[in-house]
Amino acid sequence: MAAMAHETRCHYGEVPRELGGLPVEPGFRIIADGQFLLRCASGFGYHYVPGAGITIERPNHADPDEESLWLNGSVYAAVACLNGLYPVHASAVASGGQVYAFTGPPGAGKSTMITGLGLRGLAMFCDDTLLLDLSDPQAVIALPGHKRLKLTDHALALTGLAGEQPVGAGTGKSYVVPPAGDVREPLPLARLVFLEEGPSAQWRTIEGAERFVRLADDHYTQDIYHEAQRPDRAALFAQRARLAQQVGMARLVRPLSAAGFAASLDLAAQRLGLPIKENQL
Amino acid sequence: MTGELVKAVGRFSETTIDTETVVMDLDSGDFFSLTGTAAAVWQRIDGTRSREALIAELVIEYPMAPAEIAGDVDAFLAQLLSAGLIAGT
Repeated sequence: MAAMAHETRCHYGEVPRELGGLPVEPGFRIIADGQFLLRCASGFGYHYVPGAGITIERPNHADPDEESLWLNGSVYAAVACLNGLYPVHASAVASGGQVYAFTGPPGAGKSTMITGLGLRGLAMFCDDTLLLDLSDPQAVIALPGHKRLKLTDHALALTGLAGEQPVGAGTGKSYVVPPAGDVREPLPLARLVFLEEGPSAQWRTIEGAERFVRLADDHYTQDIYHEAQRPDRAALFAQRARLAQQVGMARLVRPLSAAGFAASLDLAAQRLGLPIKENQL
Repeated sequence: MTGELVKAVGRFSETTIDTETVVMDLDSGDFFSLTGTAAAVWQRIDGTRSREALIAELVIEYPMAPAEIAGDVDAFLAQLLSAGLIAGT
């Protein structure tokens, strides 16, 4: 964590137009020579050099909302991956010194789920991107999130919360204060729950090879990880096998209605053994 | 195929999750999930057993007709040979 804080120090300046001998046009990114260069179509630029932090090039008439979205998204992920961390597309809560993460494709309800559990008293651990430290072969350690909690209007309606401020940059989302606060220390990952939509709330423990198969992740942070670490098939297999062996997994199917949402929170808390408060939704 | 069967070391990665074995062909990226007799066969391919020895052991372990076990073993060995994951004589 201290290393990430050190590596993500930011300052403003001009970023290079090429990296590793390759030109990088607006709208493209590259990882080369252990560095990361992103040139956004809007004119923002980000250049990470290990040990030196991040240089941000801010265009004239820049949208400050866009600046932080790139910084907390692709740029932070690239710094994490270049420093050996493994990203998972997930939002998570913490309880009892362990992390319980919820994953699924965009729109699956990851942020909504942890907000709902927050309303039942569970602290947020991360939103959207879960970073894992796999340096200890005996433990899968999760790093606390760096992103603010963001919800769509639909999620605000489901949770009954008011947005703190718009995220902007055309996202249609609002920043929200985590209802039960957040946790700022690394903790072991206890469980990974795959969110799916269905007609009724159902829970199924995932066993055997399905845990391995389920770990296929097409989130953009996985692309960045591959570009940063360039793992071969054997290394990727070993990594997925390790996560499949060490992290318990389950599938939570539920309707995305208000009633289905409340039922899914109760079901998830019960099956995960999480202590929650009475229904406040 | 009458001699001892050996795995093509370096051609695959394998792991066991709960009671299932996952084997990935490192050339193609294809992987196989092995349970039951297939997992038992794969675990016994260690350079000391022939096809006949494998079948003889499985006949004792599984409540299936010997001919059925032999058919399953032959079909699975053919798959593994075709994928280049084992060799035999």
